[in-house]
Amino acid sequence: MKFSSNNQRVFLNPSSSKSISIAKGKKADIILSPSMYWVKKISLPVKSVREVKKLLPSIFEESLPQGHYSYYAYKSEDEFIVFAYEDKKILEAIHKAGIATAQVGAIYFAQSELQRLEIATQVDETTALYVKDKLLLLAPLSWFAESEKLSLEALKLSKHSISLQQYGHIVDPKSLYKIGVLLSLFALILGSELFIAKSKLQDIEAKKEEIFSKYKLQSSTLQNEASLKKYTKIHTTQIKLRKYLSLFLKLHLKEGQKIVLIDYKNRVLSITINGVKKGMEGSIVSMLKREKVENKISFHSESMKVEIKL
Amino acid sequence: MNQINPLQIGGLLLVVILFLFFKLSGVQSEIVEADQSFKKSEKLALDVSALKNVYADKKRTQKRLEKIFSNRKLHTAKLKIKKQKKLVKVSSESIDSSALNYLMGKVLNDSYNITTLKIKQLSKEKASLEMEIKW
Repeated sequence: MKFSSNNQRVFLNPSSSKSISIAKGKKADIILSPSMYWVKKISLPVKSVREVKKLLPSIFEESLPQGHYSYYAYKSEDEFIVFAYEDKKILEAIHKAGIATAQVGAIYFAQSELQRLEIATQVDETTALYVKDKLLLLAPLSWFAESEKLSLEALKLSKHSISLQQYGHIVDPKSLYKIGVLLSLFALILGSELFIAKSKLQDIEAKKEEIFSKYKLQSSTLQNEASLKKYTKIHTTQIKLRKYLSLFLKLHLKEGQKIVLIDYKNRVLSITINGVKKGMEGSIVSMLKREKVENKISFHSESMKVEIKL
Repeated sequence: MNQINPLQIGGLLLVVILFLFFKLSGVQSEIVEADQSFKKSEKLALDVSALKNVYADKKRTQKRLEKIFSNRKLHTAKLKIKKQKKLVKVSSESIDSSALNYLMGKVLNDSYNITTLKIKQLSKEKASLEMEIKW
């Protein structure tokens, strides 16, 4: 909402070297001198201002010097009043006049605000404004026999204010929007990716928490690692027990030799073979060596005892 | 006319993008770690579960052993079976070789946690047996 009636009104004349002072805490409604814009009065077979705005670059194409222009248009009776202006030059003039950007309220064209002048109106020592064929023009003051001083206080401002593109001369606004849209899209994609990744992470963590209860195991990894260690040890021992028993039961003993005792307790397997005197254990020892079985052999009378720690 | 500098908006967007990018790469590393940890836990769970099913399933062990002990090939061995909370003790003062072969074949070819085993030859055809199996 604009409270334009509270704002200080200023006629911005770039040829004036006087600086304009704006009261502290107040803003300035700036009326641009005709020297700061190009204006045309045209009739077009279109109904809306929006359609005209699309055509403005081509309408002004041949009449403007090189530069970055912005355009504005409004309808006046059956015709359109169209404008072309350089944001950068207006901004420079505003700064030159000593007005800070923050102090600028609204910016108007003199054409839209002063078009009802009845006689020439003096803007400085040498120039005056006058209306010719519905267009407000700037002319030397000497052309006019009589003129009045420009007074803006009683003026009722129109709704035709413009916003200056402060950075339009650095980057084309359209390119800027495109880059902005692309960056925003990229940020959006990254944001979505982040959201998906976080959900995935939560899923994995939830699955990890469920895994032990799924298999009816203890709740912590440490407890289960201890269980694994315990059962792996049992499994390894049982495999070894079966392997070593099988080795002895398959062993081709010589005549008169026979296994008389198999004893397994406290993870020690002992096999007692009768009929084996010391020095006759060669085939049994070589089998144990071949199978890489650590063992302890003892002899008692004519029996041999093989002890294997599992 | 306090317009925001588009370069500031662009800069802000770039900062947001950089922030999201670093955050995303951080979360992706966490996913890799969590996935590895999950696979490790899954393997641990599978291994423990498989071993427990074999060596700590009292019902399963009991059922299978009862089936073996009730076989008529072992009737002559007069097996003494003493069930305790954590183990079963099986003994026979005199078991013939075919019954012993049958029993040991069944026990050794399956997965039981044998904690004690004593087979002593009594004669050419007979032996004594003591065996403890944990469940």
